[in-house]
Amino acid sequence: MNWTKQHPGLAMFAAMIGLLLFLWGMAVPLSWAPDPIGQAAQQFAEGTRMTVLLTLISGSAGVVLGVLAGLGKLSSVPPLRWISEFYVWLIRGTPLLLQILFVWLAVPTLLPDSMQISDFACAAIALALNIGAYNAECVRAGILAVPHGQVEAARALGLSPFQTFVDITLPQSMRVALPALANNLASLVKDSSLAYAISVVELTMVGYRVQAESYQPIPVFVTIAVIYLILTTAFTSLTAALESQLDVGRKR
Amino acid sequence: MTSTSSSLKPIIEARDVDKHFGAFHALKKVNATFYEGQVTAIIGPSGSGKSTFLRTLNRLETHDTGSIKVDGIELNDDLKNLDAIRREVGMVFQSFNLFSHLSILRNVALAPIRVRKMSKEAAEAKALALLERVGLKNQAEKYPVQLSGGQQQRVAIARALAMDPKVLLFDEPTSALDPEMVNEVLAVMRELAHTGITMLVVTHEMGFAREVADRLIFFDHGTILEDSSPAEFFSNPKHDRAKAFLTQVRHGF
Ligand SMILES: Nc1ncnc2c1ncn2[C@@H]1O[C@H](COP(=O)(O)OP(=O)(O)OP(=O)(O)O)[C@@H](O)[C@H]1O
Ligand SMILES: [Mg+2]
Repeated sequence: MNWTKQHPGLAMFAAMIGLLLFLWGMAVPLSWAPDPIGQAAQQFAEGTRMTVLLTLISGSAGVVLGVLAGLGKLSSVPPLRWISEFYVWLIRGTPLLLQILFVWLAVPTLLPDSMQISDFACAAIALALNIGAYNAECVRAGILAVPHGQVEAARALGLSPFQTFVDITLPQSMRVALPALANNLASLVKDSSLAYAISVVELTMVGYRVQAESYQPIPVFVTIAVIYLILTTAFTSLTAALESQLDVGRKR
Repeated sequence: MTSTSSSLKPIIEARDVDKHFGAFHALKKVNATFYEGQVTAIIGPSGSGKSTFLRTLNRLETHDTGSIKVDGIELNDDLKNLDAIRREVGMVFQSFNLFSHLSILRNVALAPIRVRKMSKEAAEAKALALLERVGLKNQAEKYPVQLSGGQQQRVAIARALAMDPKVLLFDEPTSALDPEMVNEVLAVMRELAHTGITMLVVTHEMGFAREVADRLIFFDHGTILEDSSPAEFFSNPKHDRAKAFLTQVRHGF
């Protein structure tokens, strides 16, 4: 994508606006489509909004988890390191579907009755925990990629370890970590479809319902696939734009 | 100017400084006192401990035993002391180590803002003045990769000067540069040497050492083998190791 490389800011903006317009106005063009799509346009639009919401919420929480776990893995405090490593090992070694089912079925039995959480929240928690573990690896790799001389120069100038981390290490680590984090976010769009297993009415669930009512799986699933493609393409152009934005100071 | 004039105020006092890397004995009871305003060239064969010694002076390396005092403050595990010392001691690295994600102006202004708590405006005005002094005012908005090695090293000197240090440590500041860029950096350093700042310069530039330094230290195998004036060292080295080193240098390497 050459265009996004040359105008990263514009591309990022365009991807965001495109995504919003798409979500907002999707029901309109879909309602013109022949049945069974046209009559279910509103359902498709709501499913899409749900998918995007799930992605953005669990994606943001997953970034926070990823930074914490990534730092934990590099910590000089052994218990922090063990906890982070255990978390990443556990999540990466088990299927996402199992994690979603676990949060949905097991967590409510641990909580008092007054504190029960919605299906949507269960899905968001499970997805955040999942992507957080993958993000942790990206953050760790990013921090390890910062040349030691940068830290030495900051320390020699009198910056404290914390200032050095915030001003130097973290921004420089993002140059390596952010594109990978954004990639994880794009996969999350697709992974969020597993939430259908716990009856969250997101895009895939909508497709399943509409085809069950209309007995026409082919046009329904093609429509769903096209919507997913548009969403992942929007997230991917965002990633590409971000990457070239972060190239500042690296290449000529 | 003589190297040990008692009228001068000591700024760095290293006593019996010992340092190991695992089993390797990198510094062996090094003793040296450096005085305010003095320019010292530190030379010696590769691996003799020059960088290690310089880096113990601002605690980029910790020393095992012995004591180091900078401006009267003991360099130890006390973080308050370390902060105080790092504010007074600037360092210029062989590989420049400019912050690659920050503009040239921001590179120079960052430490005064964060450490000296200067306002952004004041720090940037100061940074611009320093960049002008090293002849790079017109590059302020660029990023480090857009500059030549010589320009980057001049920025690194400006960055160190922005903290108004009493001492500047240079670790082979011209060794990573293409030959045609060495002189522009040496010119800046020569100008600095006349401002009264204390300079410790690890270098392979014998011409610079002879011409600019007040004092010359020859390192070998983790000890200071000779400590004299450049004129005396170059005309009359006392130890065989120093003679051998000079012969090698004169033939170019
Ligand atoms: N972090 C380290 N770990 C292990 N050994 C080290 C480390 N730093 C330096 N050394 C060793 O200590 C010795 C002295 O190194 P130092 O860098 O001080 O030498 P130098 O005199 O600066 O040499 P050069 O002219 O090559 O820069 C070398 O043998 C080097 O291999
Ligand atoms: Mg060295």
